[in-house]
Amino acid sequence: MTRKDLYVIVALILFLITLAYAIAFAGIVGLPAQKDLRPLGRFYLTYMVNSYVKKFWAASPEGVTAILWDYRGLDTLYETSVFFLAIIGSVAIFRLTREDEKELHKREEEVKDTGLSIIVKLVTRVIFALIIAVSASIALHGHLTPGGGFQGGSALAVAPILLIFAMSRYFVEKLGLKESTALSLRTIGLVTIGIVGLVPLIMGLGTAYFMQNQPKPGSVFTGFPNYVGDVLLGGSLLYYNIAEFLAVGAGFTVVFLLLSIPEDVFKKIIRREGEVAH
Amino acid sequence: MLIEVFLWIYIYLVILVIFAISLYGIVFRPNILKKIIALTIFADTANTLMILVGYRFIYPVSPPIITSIKPTPEQIREFVKVAVDPIPPALVITAIVINMAVTLLITFLAIQAYRLYGSLDARKIAKLKG
Repeated sequence: MTRKDLYVIVALILFLITLAYAIAFAGIVGLPAQKDLRPLGRFYLTYMVNSYVKKFWAASPEGVTAILWDYRGLDTLYETSVFFLAIIGSVAIFRLTREDEKELHKREEEVKDTGLSIIVKLVTRVIFALIIAVSASIALHGHLTPGGGFQGGSALAVAPILLIFAMSRYFVEKLGLKESTALSLRTIGLVTIGIVGLVPLIMGLGTAYFMQNQPKPGSVFTGFPNYVGDVLLGGSLLYYNIAEFLAVGAGFTVVFLLLSIPEDVFKKIIRREGEVAH
Repeated sequence: MLIEVFLWIYIYLVILVIFAISLYGIVFRPNILKKIIALTIFADTANTLMILVGYRFIYPVSPPIITSIKPTPEQIREFVKVAVDPIPPALVITAIVINMAVTLLITFLAIQAYRLYGSLDARKIAKLKG
């Protein structure tokens, strides 16, 4: 054991002791077990769908979605932007030129009749539609039941990865779901979130806030529609959820398509780039 | 009451142990892939701790979702008595997405590093030149 290892072990032990002390004595995380609501949580729970005090309400009976897209909407906007930047970074690392794509499609003939057995392929075809239906249900009911745009989008992304594994990458591309298409869908989703956020600014004539959902006192903005008959729409939450659903689903599709590029094709590309550089 | 306190401390201890294991993995494992796995375990443990902090140890307890479309003030008062705090889940979902974005990017970097250097050993990659 070298001296460096010793330092690391001592640092880890000190960290754990500090954390244990903070939890046990300083009450940082609320020992003993919480029995009452904290004031902020009580506020959100009381006012999120309280149509009698419309000053504070978000028109959504789902507390988490109300906080995500209404009370703390900017957090979620930037979180989506971070995810978008990560995907842009991944595409930049795995970039392909025109020539490289030609190389990639040469492999298409070789893998034409491969893939998993006919049983898996058939079941995949059936389940594919089911996954899309379930994920759309999760996203569209995001303001009523547990779930929302991100959860629905993650469920949607299972469909392309299932196709990639059961058939092949080229099958997905033949369906029209190329990287560029998925990336544009991703961008459309993020732009839609921005536009829905800007609507109150335009309609409120300078008296409303960015990403405002329901009308507030002293603002001309009349709010997004919340009830249509007996159907609860949740104001802008529905549009945000749909846009996020599209954005996350397409974003994951880009990632899976990039990860499923055959390894030997990439090795060839890297070798060629090395020759050009020398 | 006693068993409640015991369970509470037990859960915290388990979370602390997982923290320690994941930190060990991040610091000591030379394989970059194992470092990434340890990092995700670390993030998930932190999220679990957050959810635990937001939980209400009462019975009955309900999720922060009202089940009626147009609740009356009476219903809202009853609901606030049993519902858990909605803020920790909302923070955790943000943390999950950002953690996933970070994991995505470093995984792509690790794959590219393997293609270029033929190894995922952090010690070997650090010694390579050019």
